[in-house]
Amino acid sequence: MAEKRKVNRCTIAATQGRGSDVIVIGAGLSGLLAAVYAVKAGARVRLIATGWGQQIVSPGWISVCDRADDDVIAEVRGYAALHPEHPYALAGLDALVCALDLLQDIAEEIGEPVAMRPRDGHNLRLPTMLGALQTPLLAPAGIAAGDLTEVEEPLLIVGFAGWRDFYPALVAGNLSAQGIAARPLTVSLPAERGSWDDWPADLARRFDDSAFRSAVLRQVQPQVKGAARVGFPAVLGMARHAEVRREFEAGLGCPVFEIPTLPPSPAGARLSNGIRRWLLRQRARVQIGHAVLRGNVENGRCTGVEVGALGHANPFYADTFILATGGLYNGGIQSDEAGRLWEPIFGFPVSGPPSEGRADWYQGRLLAEGGHAIHGQTGLRVNAQMQPLDGDGAPVLENVFAAGHLLAGFNPLTDGCAEGVALATAYKAVSAALAARA
Amino acid sequence: MTTTSVDVLIIGGGATGAAALYDLARRGVRALLVDQLDFTTGTSGRYHGLLHSGGRYAGRDLETARECIVENRVLRRIVPFAVEDTGGLFVATPADPADFPARWLDGCAKAGIPAEPLSAAQARAAEPALTHDITAVYRVPDGSVDSFDMIHGFVAAARDLGGDAWIYQQVTALLREGDAVVGATLRDTRSGEARTVHAACVLNATGPWAGAVAQLAGLNVSVKFDRGAMIAMNTRWVNTIVNRLRPAADGDILVPVGTVCVLGTTSVHTSAPDDYRVEAWEVSKILAEADVVVPGIRNGRALRAWAGVRPLYEPPQAGHDEAQGREVARTFSVLDHAVLDGVRGLVTVTGGKLTTCRLMAEKAADAVCAQLGISAPCSTADEALPIPAATAGRYHRLDHRLHKLEHGEMPGDLICECEMITRPQLEAAIAAYGGQPVALDDLRRDLRLGMGPCQAGFCGVRAAGILQAVRGQASAEATAALGAFVDERFRGVRPLLWGHQLRQLYLDELIYRRTLGLDRLPDEGVSQATTAAPGEEAAHG
Ligand SMILES: Cc1cc2nc3c(=O)[nH]c(=O)nc-3n(C[C@H](O)[C@H](O)[C@H](O)COP(=O)(O)OP(=O)(O)OC[C@H]3O[C@@H](n4cnc5c(N)ncnc54)[C@H](O)[C@@H]3O)c2cc1C
Ligand SMILES: Cc1cc2nc3c(=O)[nH]c(=O)nc-3n(C[C@H](O)[C@H](O)[C@H](O)COP(=O)(O)OP(=O)(O)OC[C@H]3O[C@@H](n4cnc5c(N)ncnc54)[C@H](O)[C@@H]3O)c2cc1C
Repeated sequence: MAEKRKVNRCTIAATQGRGSDVIVIGAGLSGLLAAVYAVKAGARVRLIATGWGQQIVSPGWISVCDRADDDVIAEVRGYAALHPEHPYALAGLDALVCALDLLQDIAEEIGEPVAMRPRDGHNLRLPTMLGALQTPLLAPAGIAAGDLTEVEEPLLIVGFAGWRDFYPALVAGNLSAQGIAARPLTVSLPAERGSWDDWPADLARRFDDSAFRSAVLRQVQPQVKGAARVGFPAVLGMARHAEVRREFEAGLGCPVFEIPTLPPSPAGARLSNGIRRWLLRQRARVQIGHAVLRGNVENGRCTGVEVGALGHANPFYADTFILATGGLYNGGIQSDEAGRLWEPIFGFPVSGPPSEGRADWYQGRLLAEGGHAIHGQTGLRVNAQMQPLDGDGAPVLENVFAAGHLLAGFNPLTDGCAEGVALATAYKAVSAALAARA
Repeated sequence: MTTTSVDVLIIGGGATGAAALYDLARRGVRALLVDQLDFTTGTSGRYHGLLHSGGRYAGRDLETARECIVENRVLRRIVPFAVEDTGGLFVATPADPADFPARWLDGCAKAGIPAEPLSAAQARAAEPALTHDITAVYRVPDGSVDSFDMIHGFVAAARDLGGDAWIYQQVTALLREGDAVVGATLRDTRSGEARTVHAACVLNATGPWAGAVAQLAGLNVSVKFDRGAMIAMNTRWVNTIVNRLRPAADGDILVPVGTVCVLGTTSVHTSAPDDYRVEAWEVSKILAEADVVVPGIRNGRALRAWAGVRPLYEPPQAGHDEAQGREVARTFSVLDHAVLDGVRGLVTVTGGKLTTCRLMAEKAADAVCAQLGISAPCSTADEALPIPAATAGRYHRLDHRLHKLEHGEMPGDLICECEMITRPQLEAAIAAYGGQPVALDDLRRDLRLGMGPCQAGFCGVRAAGILQAVRGQASAEATAALGAFVDERFRGVRPLLWGHQLRQLYLDELIYRRTLGLDRLPDEGVSQATTAAPGEEAAHG
C-alpha cells in the first residue's frame, strides 16, 4: 500500500502575510490551496465562490504529469524548459513542489490524506470504472491503494446490484484484457425508498451507517477466495470514510481500494468540506454560494470586489486578490454564440483559438487526439508573478493574481497536468501577492 | 447468396415506405421493405416534427396545403399514438409584411384550413412565452408527430398482416430482365453479406436517394436536394406549435416535441442526399428568428442540432426554369416508369411531406397494383392502427415519468436522468433485439437514451455496462459501443458549443477522458466505428 512521503520540504513563514487582507475568488483546488497558504502565512483571508470547483466532478486524483514514465518532477522540469509559456514554466518548479507538500499537509490535517507511491516519486497506475489505467501522481488514500504498479493478483472488483454508477464486469473484463487478472462480483444493497436515484455521494453517506455496510461486507466475505485486493466503487463512506475502509480491510483480510465513479465525487466533497472547516477554524471567512460580480479598479489597482446579494451588491475590500474562478467550465471565462470569450469580473483580456468565431474550437470527434483548441488555447496570459497581462505584455492590475484553469497555456482535459497546474499556480500567486505587499 | 421472392420490394424505411408496406399489406399484397440503415435514419428522422395543418403552404402552394389538412385529420385518426394535439398558432409581428395575413387567410379558406383569429392577449394567455409585439395571430389545427412511433406503428401493423421489413439492407443493384425490373441485390451494411430478392414490382421510396436508386435501373429521376437545419432546445418553451405569419423563410417554426422544443429550419441548395452539415450561420439565423416570436429563447440552452435533406422532385418539363429551395412545390410525385420510360416493374415515389406520407403511399401503391393487375382498393385512411407493443407508452412528458418514478410505478434505478429511463426499460429494449446486433444509438431511437442535456455523458457508460450484462459481451465490445455512441452524440452538439452546452461538453469530455479513460484503452473502437461503412458501428468489436 502506498505510504505518505512528501516530495520535498517547504516552510511557510507565518509572518509573511501578517496584516494583509487577501480575498480569494473561487473554491476549486487552486482557490482552496491559495486560501490555505495565505492563512498559513498569517494573512486575513476571505474566500468567495459561487460554488465548489472541479474537484466535485473530478475522479479525485492529482495529475501532475500523467505521461511521465519515471521521476515526475524531473519530467516536468524538462517540459517546462522547452515550453516557457506553460504555467509550470511561469510558476516555476519550486512552486509546484511546495504546493504538493502543502496539499499533502492540509489533507493530512483534515483527515483526508492523499497518498503517492512510496520512495520513488513516480506516477501511480490506477484503474478507472472502465478498467482503463490512469497515471496521476497522488490520490486520496483509498483510491491510491488501487495502485497497480506492482500487481498482486487476482483482484476482486465488487459492484452493487441495481446501482447505476458502477459495472464490475466492465472493469474486470478490460483489466483482464490488459493482463491484470480481475474478477467481478455483484452484491446487493439493503433496500431503501427512493434509492432509484442514488448518486455516489448519496451512497457514500449510506455507508456511514454501520448496519448498512455490515450487510454489504457480509456478502463479500465468503467471495474473497484468495483475492489479493478488493476494489469497490469510491463510495465507501462520507463522514466515516476512514473507518469504513479500516473495517472493510479487517473484515476481508486484504487491502481494499476504491475506483472513482461518475460525478459528483465523494472524495472531492470530503476534501472541499474538510478545507472549508479548517479555514473557518483558522478564522478565515468562507462564502460559498456568493457570486463576485465585478472588481472595482482605481489607478491600476483593485480596491474591492462587489458580491451579489438579494437585490444589491456588497463591496468587500482587500489588499490583494487571487482570481481562481476556473476556466470555461466553472464560469471564470464566458463564451457566447458569436465566438466571444471574456473574463467577467475584471474584463481581463482572454486569449483563445486564433480563428474568428467558433468554427475551429472543436475537432470533429470529442475524443480526438490532442484535445480541442478551445480548451488548450483559452485563458488569461500571466507573467511569472501570475499577474494577468494586457496585449502588450504588461500587468493589467498590480494587486490581482490569477491561478488555476483560468490560465492559458495548457489543456486541463488532455495534458495530464490539471491539478498540478492548479496547485502550482495558486502557490505562486499567493507567494507573489504576499511579496508584492511586503 | 440467399434468394427471396416477394410480390413487391419496397426500398426505403422512411415514412413513405413504411406507409406503403402497410397499404399493400391491407390489399393482401406480399411486400418486403428494406432500408440501408435503421428505420427513420433518412429524412423521416431528421425533420421538424410538425403535423402540418397546411397553413405553412396556404400562401403559395394550395395543392400541398389541401393535402396537408386532409392527411392531418387522417393521421390523427389512424396513428393517434404518434400525434400530440398541440394545436398551432400563426403569429405576425411588426417585422412581417402587413399585407400577408389577409392573403394567407384567403389561402386557408380555399384549402379548407380552419384559422381562428385570436387577440394578442388570448394568444399570450395560451402561450405566455410569446412576444408582446403581435400584430395578428390565428389558431390552426397543427400537431406534433413522432415519426419514430408512426413508422414503427406502420411496420408492426403490416407485419401482423403478413408484410415484412429488413433493416441494414442496402439495395446495390436492381435486376433487369429486358425492359422489366425483376428484383434487387441487397448488401447487409453491417456484415457485408449479399443476397437477392426477386419481386414482381419494386417500389422506390427512398426520398432524397430516389434519383440514385432509379439510376441503378439506368433511369433518370431528377431530384434536387434542399438541406434544412433544426435545433432542439432543452425544454418545451411552448406547448403549441408557433409559426411565423409571413411568406415562408428561415427559422419560422417552433415545435414542441416530447420533452424538447425544436426550432427551424433553413433551406440550402446542396448536391448530396446525405449532406447533413449544420453551418454556424444557420444556428445564428434560427436562434435569432425564434427570438423574435419567443423573446429570450436564443439565450436558452440548445441541446442538439441536425439537418435533413428535402427531396424536391423536378418533373422533366420543368427542367429549365431554375426554381430552387422553397419555390419548388412541396407536393409529391409518383413516377410509373412503365408509362414514363417503358420499364415495367418499377415505381418511384418522392417529394412531399411526412404529413402526407399515407397519401403518397396510397398513390404509389395504386400504381404498383395497376402494374400487378391487382384491383384491391386502398383502405388505410379510416381504421386506427393497433398501438405497436414496442412503442406503447413511449410518448411521454418528463413530468409524467417523474410522477411515476416518485410513486413507485416505474421500478428500477434511473439510468438516463435527462429522459427518465430506468434500467428495466433499457433491459427490455435490449432484449427486444434478440440475437441481432444492437448499438447504443439503436437504444437511443427506441427510448430517447442520451437525447437530453448531457447528451449521454452520464447514461452512455451506464448503458454500455447494462448492455454488456444483458448480452454477456466482452468488455471490449461494450467499450467500443460506448465509443461509437460518444462519436454519434458529439456530431449533433458540435455546432452548439458555447455557454452552457460548452460547459456540459467539458464535463462529458472530463468523464470520458479522465474518469473513464475511454481514450486510453488499447482498443478504443471509436475511430474504427466512425470510418466504417454506414451502420457498421454495432458490428465492430
Ligand atoms: C429540414 C426538414 C424539415 C422537415 N419538416 C417536416 C415537418 O415538420 N413536417 C412534415 O410533414 N414534413 C417535414 N419534412 C419533410 C419530411 O421529412 C419528408 O417529406 C419525409 O420524411 C420523407 O420521407 P420518405 O420516407 O419519403 O424519405 P426518407 O425518410 O428519406 O426515407 C428514405 C429511406 O430510404 C433509404 N435508402 C436510400 N437508399 C437506399 C438503398 N439503396 N437501399 C436501401 N435503402 C435506401 C434511406 O436510408 C432512408 O431511410 C421536412 C424535411 C426536412 C428536410
Ligand atoms: C422531431 C425530432 C426531435 C428531436 N429531438 C431531439 C432531442 O430532444 N434530443 C436530441 O439529442 N436529439 C433530438 N433529435 C435529433 C436526433 O437525435 C438526431 O440527431 C437526428 O434525428 C438526426 O440524426 P444525426 O444527424 O444526429 O445522426 P446521424 O448519425 O448522422 O444519422 C442518424 C442515424 O443514421 C445512421 N447513420 C447515418 N449515416 C451514418 C454513417 N455514415 N455511419 C453510421 N451511421 C450512420 C446512424 O445510425 C444514426 O443514428 C430530434 C430529431 C427529431 C426529428
